[in-house]
Amino acid sequence: NLKGRVLDETGQPLPGAAVKAKGGTSSTLTGANGDFELKSSSSISAIIVSYIGYESKEVNVSGKTNITVTLNPDQKNLQEVVVIGYGTQRAEAVTGSVASIKGEALREVPSANITQALQGRVAGVEMTQTSSRPGSGMQIRIRGTRSLNADPNSGQDAPLVVLDGIPFSGSINDIDPNSIRSIDILKDASATAIYGSRGANGVILVTSFRGQKGQAARVSYNSFYGLKNLFSRVPMMDGPEFARLRTEATKTQQELNIGTFAPSSDELDNANTDWQDLLYRNAMTMSHDVNLSKGSERGNFSVGIGYYKDQSVLPTNDFNRYSIRAAVDQEAGKYFRFGLTSNNSYTVTEGNQVGISDALGASPLASPYDANGNLKRSTYASTDPYKVWTKDLINDLKDRWLSEAKGLGSYNNMYVEVRAPWVEGLKARVNLGLNIRQTTGGNFTGKGVTSATNPNEPSTAGINNSTMTDWAIENLLTYDRRFGKHEFNAVGLYSAQENTFYRSDISVRDLAAEHFQYFNLGQAPQGNITINPDNQGHTVWGLQSWMGRVMYNYDNRYMLSATLRADGSSRLAPGRKWHTYPAVSAGWNIAQESFMSEVTPLSLLKLRVGYGVTSNQAVAPYATLGRLSNRFYNFGDNGDESYETGYIISELPNENLGWEFTNTWNFGLDFGLFAGRLSGTIEYYKQHTKDILLAVDLPPTTGVNRFTSNIGETENKGFELSLNGVIIDNPNGFRWEAGVNLYTNRNKLLALTSGSDRNEGNWWFVGHPINVIYDYERIGLWQTGDSHLNVLEPGGNVGMIKVKYTGEYDNNGVPVRQIGAADRQILDFDPKFQGGFNTRFSYKGFDLGIVAAFKNGGTLISTLHGGTSYLNLLNGRHNNVSVDYWTPENTGAKYPRPGGITAADNPKYMSTMAYFDASYLKIRTISLGYNFNGKWMENAGISQARIYFTAQNPFVLFSPFHKESGMDPEPNSYGNQNQAVTTQIVQRLPVVGYNVPATRNYLVGLNFTF
Amino acid sequence: CNDILEETPRDRFEPGFFKTEDGIRGGLTGLYSGLRRLYGQPYYYNATETGTDEYTYGSQADGNFRAADLSGLGIPDAQNSRWDVLWNTAYANINSASGIIANGTEAGISPSLISEARFFRAFSYFLLVQTFGGVPLDLGGGILQYNTTPTLTSVRNTVPEVYTKGVFPDLLQAINELQDNPRVIGAVTKNVARLTLAKAYLTYGWWLQNPNNVPTYPETARNDPDGHDAQWYFQKAYDIAVTGIDSPGSYSLQPTFYDVNLAQNDRNSEIMLFADHTEANAQYSESNITGWDGGDGQNQAGWMVTWYFQNLKASKTAGTWSSVDATFRTVQAGQSYTRPWMRMAPPIDVFTRTFADKTSDSRFNGTFTTVYRATWKLNPNRAENILYGANYLPIAPNDKILSFLPSDPGGISYPVDPNPNPNNVILNQDGTEAGFLPGRADFVIPLDKISRNIYPGLWKLGAYRKASDYNDDKIASSRPFNILKFSEFYFVAAEAAVKGANVQAGKSARDLINVIRARAGKWRFDVAENVTKIADNSAAMMAATPAVIDINYILDERSREFFGEGYRWHDLARTQKWEEYAGSYRISQVGGTAPVTVNRELPKYLYLRPIPQGQLDRMSGDAAYKKNYQNPGYN
Repeated sequence: NLKGRVLDETGQPLPGAAVKAKGGTSSTLTGANGDFELKSSSSISAIIVSYIGYESKEVNVSGKTNITVTLNPDQKNLQEVVVIGYGTQRAEAVTGSVASIKGEALREVPSANITQALQGRVAGVEMTQTSSRPGSGMQIRIRGTRSLNADPNSGQDAPLVVLDGIPFSGSINDIDPNSIRSIDILKDASATAIYGSRGANGVILVTSFRGQKGQAARVSYNSFYGLKNLFSRVPMMDGPEFARLRTEATKTQQELNIGTFAPSSDELDNANTDWQDLLYRNAMTMSHDVNLSKGSERGNFSVGIGYYKDQSVLPTNDFNRYSIRAAVDQEAGKYFRFGLTSNNSYTVTEGNQVGISDALGASPLASPYDANGNLKRSTYASTDPYKVWTKDLINDLKDRWLSEAKGLGSYNNMYVEVRAPWVEGLKARVNLGLNIRQTTGGNFTGKGVTSATNPNEPSTAGINNSTMTDWAIENLLTYDRRFGKHEFNAVGLYSAQENTFYRSDISVRDLAAEHFQYFNLGQAPQGNITINPDNQGHTVWGLQSWMGRVMYNYDNRYMLSATLRADGSSRLAPGRKWHTYPAVSAGWNIAQESFMSEVTPLSLLKLRVGYGVTSNQAVAPYATLGRLSNRFYNFGDNGDESYETGYIISELPNENLGWEFTNTWNFGLDFGLFAGRLSGTIEYYKQHTKDILLAVDLPPTTGVNRFTSNIGETENKGFELSLNGVIIDNPNGFRWEAGVNLYTNRNKLLALTSGSDRNEGNWWFVGHPINVIYDYERIGLWQTGDSHLNVLEPGGNVGMIKVKYTGEYDNNGVPVRQIGAADRQILDFDPKFQGGFNTRFSYKGFDLGIVAAFKNGGTLISTLHGGTSYLNLLNGRHNNVSVDYWTPENTGAKYPRPGGITAADNPKYMSTMAYFDASYLKIRTISLGYNFNGKWMENAGISQARIYFTAQNPFVLFSPFHKESGMDPEPNSYGNQNQAVTTQIVQRLPVVGYNVPATRNYLVGLNFTF
Repeated sequence: CNDILEETPRDRFEPGFFKTEDGIRGGLTGLYSGLRRLYGQPYYYNATETGTDEYTYGSQADGNFRAADLSGLGIPDAQNSRWDVLWNTAYANINSASGIIANGTEAGISPSLISEARFFRAFSYFLLVQTFGGVPLDLGGGILQYNTTPTLTSVRNTVPEVYTKGVFPDLLQAINELQDNPRVIGAVTKNVARLTLAKAYLTYGWWLQNPNNVPTYPETARNDPDGHDAQWYFQKAYDIAVTGIDSPGSYSLQPTFYDVNLAQNDRNSEIMLFADHTEANAQYSESNITGWDGGDGQNQAGWMVTWYFQNLKASKTAGTWSSVDATFRTVQAGQSYTRPWMRMAPPIDVFTRTFADKTSDSRFNGTFTTVYRATWKLNPNRAENILYGANYLPIAPNDKILSFLPSDPGGISYPVDPNPNPNNVILNQDGTEAGFLPGRADFVIPLDKISRNIYPGLWKLGAYRKASDYNDDKIASSRPFNILKFSEFYFVAAEAAVKGANVQAGKSARDLINVIRARAGKWRFDVAENVTKIADNSAAMMAATPAVIDINYILDERSREFFGEGYRWHDLARTQKWEEYAGSYRISQVGGTAPVTVNRELPKYLYLRPIPQGQLDRMSGDAAYKKNYQNPGYN
């Protein structure tokens, strides 16, 4: 008998490789760790080892009993197979823009969901953190923003996620990253065309693990456990700093005759309380995942369970996910194949009601304890009360103060495939997807728990539930055939999908007893039960499609793909529901040409060109119908008999509402050099989006707020580069790999409502990117002796913020007017370029990996430093962000003089202090791993064992914001969240607000395969 | 299976519902709730008061308030003028009213209900035309037609067109068709329409007369399309107002001025129109009832005019100053106390001139909070039973901690330390700009030396909560905001008489004003002293009325009666007395110091307020089109 092991070119075991005795009948497949044992009665002289995508190898084994075979990638069959819509394709034949990332690469960044893992990994795919709460997903944008939506949660600029072939309608958090085998991202129109309108913003194809054909039973266990430490506290002032600020502010306020903020009786000159320190805890995160898979010649299965937990530094705030999944494929008879995939998860999010605003605003000069050493209910900073919170207090309150969200998601799809017995290559397939996602939310605040002043404040409780059901059916006919050098693949599809969403919400006040929590709201007085119609909802939408795609490949040199698709959407107006649109792309594998055979270093050179139209139904259901909004009124104060519900028309119908279109050109060049040691892709694209579906705010004189219309035009142009290389490759020793991706996207708004070149309310300006900041431009602070202070800023003071004046000057060089609305500027928000890099060093069993992301240019909005958080008031009212402010002795400061002129409650133009250069380079993870090897493993039946240590979020470099504040430069909120004033910054822009602080995590992980 | 492409909404109303009986009734309710988005809205309140003789900006004022004061700290423009609140809410109500009028009859709605909509349409147009000049009568569907067409342009009609088409006809019809008594609490009636029409006639009469040559826009001759002259309208105003007085329906004057504004007596017989609220239900009150942030329908006007009284301190111990809060910020403290924002402050002249009589006339007492009491005990965490105030004299819960004195008696000691430190400086121990007098436990400040930091509160608008379930002061007021009062009939008739209307016997301007003044002489409770006070100074009040009433006397009397209720700018604009009344005012830089005079710059173009930027931004059209749409002077 012959024993041996099959490895790939990187020294990793190749499971499932076929090993066959030359000239004999005995054969086998390698196991999970690449091992095989070939049983044979006669002696074997040579074996043939083969594996898809690799060059088959014949090895002489005469006289040997143990052998290691290394396979090299098949240069003709270069690299792996990629998943495209409704099928797979060899990477070399792909003509559209498709980026792939393997599950292993994703798991280099241990995370709750794929958005976190994908950040900075793929050119053209931008992941933006919009909440730092545990279990939050990120905003995904593929090649920029096309549609115009004030509400970023509308999902209308988000890509389509397809899980195992069926459009995924749930929460991204329901997909356990441990279950993912690969992710393929379709970026251009020719690649996404097959998904039609739902793919208008790109498609993310998630493929989960299945058993491999002929694979021995394998159990794998992956886990990590980590500690999370505060990355940085919010840089609030300490006691002495705050006392100094108040003194400075008072001096100025008295000079300018502005009201001062006297200390409250709680505030003492010598106190120095760090409220954040009292509140934050050290948190942990962990993940456990077990998977069992097996394959036979005609079938395979995979089942797995997982558990993931992530805590934030706020007491009781955490996210838990329990997941269970199964995948089965089975052939039956000669022509039938069946399969089933089921992904199920149950998530529990707790403690999102705990926030940090009291800890930030409370005066550091106030002690949390009274004279007897007991915790006070609240302390006053000047006249504002702040509830006292400590981690122990919150932990003790856990039955009396809670906010829970539980989500149960089940995503299932089944298929039946029939091969036509009489036509080779013809198959029919039916896919059926059945999905359901239910969430139940509950909250309860016991009597007096959150009130700063009232221990008897009545309790409140509420529930909110939602159910989403979704079905999709796809009927596919595929024809796949090769005639010599001609290779055809044709797909025809009819699909239908319907999605129903229902939500309900009830809130009550003054429950009869606290043990009810939110579990029996009927125990509140009838008059205290509120069912607000605005918080109930029911929407149904449907989509029907016909599609055909033909792919043709001649001799691996010339490739062509053409798609035609017709979509019908329920969301659009009758008569305008259907639309048909084409996409074509072509590829030329230059390296395969005979004239290139001399250019030996070049293993791959492929040119791709694609053009296509995609359309988008980027509008909420019922937008064509118009809407009445509710108004409520009490006629008198006699309880229920006084109450009446009223209506006012708030949206006008639009009978002409039709599709939104994007025309896309894509040019790509794929190359491989030095036998694949260096490979890369360069792409350029141009998208032009027309007839954008937009809620148009009408002039008040119309009498109606808005209507939805096909108005607006945008453009995206971008350039993407990805490079992957093996820099050093010593087969028996040191190996160094690196990958980098870099991309830019230039977005431009080409047209808005007819005849209008600006929408100031939404910060949209024709000729500028969709995302801009519309505000004054800060050019410094007013200094003593600066001219025209009294003209430009009547009532202003030296030390106040100086903004750019754009008006005229008279003959004496004096400005003709004061600074006003006309001086506001359109300021850049988008970065110049961004990307990421990863590198991996390995030596023997050790490996060291680094994953990083970077961004250059653009604007980071820190509402903490601007006006909307009310934490940089610079007037001594309550605690303040620790900033370098102007005083007569410190005139070179960045921030204005405390106690000076205000607009609303903030120093005038304080919004301009929120803007920082958004550049950063962030090391997302550094991992050191060790793969065990040795006899003991074999004895224990372990085929693979790995331990690793990971530091997450260890460093931030080149970030002006981080340099000044010490904080993480990644946004943690949308523009209308986690601030005191939520109307100033448009909702869609992500900002750094007072959300849960970022952490630095230290993980230890263990992976075993049996 | 084409079914999946069809839509059947189940969670909302489509506009088609607005043609059914239920939809139209709901539309009417929507019009009432529209009142809230204006009355009690703090920035609209600012627009109606700041820059008049009643209010200037307070020391925590932001740019909106400072610019509105016109005293050199900014100029009102399309961006900062808060009259946008009116512009941005009025047309939706007008359109809704037009929808009810257009669909009502077919849906079987009674004429009296339809006339409630007529009232609201006219009421909105009347507010608009007084504020902005000519405004559009065609919202996109035709003159006074219900608009369901998205329209990105707008054409302004002239002032006479708005009055004669958009205001008078609807009100005349409403007077005919409305009921005498409200169908539900707070619903409009014949007399509500009468009062509004009388005011509209009076205002239009003044406009035709234009005594101070104030410009109008869009430009038009001061001719009445209906062929009447100013005098005809003054006479009509008088006649209708007198009809209102003679056929009062369910309305009447309250026995005392105190009763008119007492929270426990809200929705009394004198109040004809109000934007209602309730503390019992957040949804129907459209206002948070357990916290401060609750949408655009909240009544927060009172916050603007309340100073930081909660800074008031007392000492824990006698002999050594150990500073503690003397008050507690809670809505449980009663009508004298309201959440303080200090955005607006009354000038000194309010107390020396308008409310010169503080003893016979009960209206000073029934308008302001001039005594602040020690409310620390309302804080459940405070154990002290006695605190020590000025001169270390003891203060029991609910004793006076600060009093505004009618005038400076001399001898008051004031803080001198420019950096007040409440822990060891005996001067300024109270935490405010007040001083103290020998022998008094309360701190004091004379009304003729108030500043933007220390001034009487507005008791009238004070917050009040019946239940004891909530004790923060951050909650918006759950009281109704009063809009029209029966007493105004007397003022409108008197003003029309002053303007030359022929009067009925016993209803001369003086007679009418004396009804109000006689009532003002009646006391039943002393707010400042917090005690019952039965007094009848009616005779003295009437005797003090001048023999000949002129327009200035009417304006003074209106301020005494309606101070701080959002009437003032329209009163001064109607009579074109804005500059005369508000061209300068006095206020002290620091409480207790000699007042300084502040001059206001009031060029006449300001009589028309700016069209808000939002309107200009959302309209299509070039710069010239938008400039032409804007009122002159704001470009």
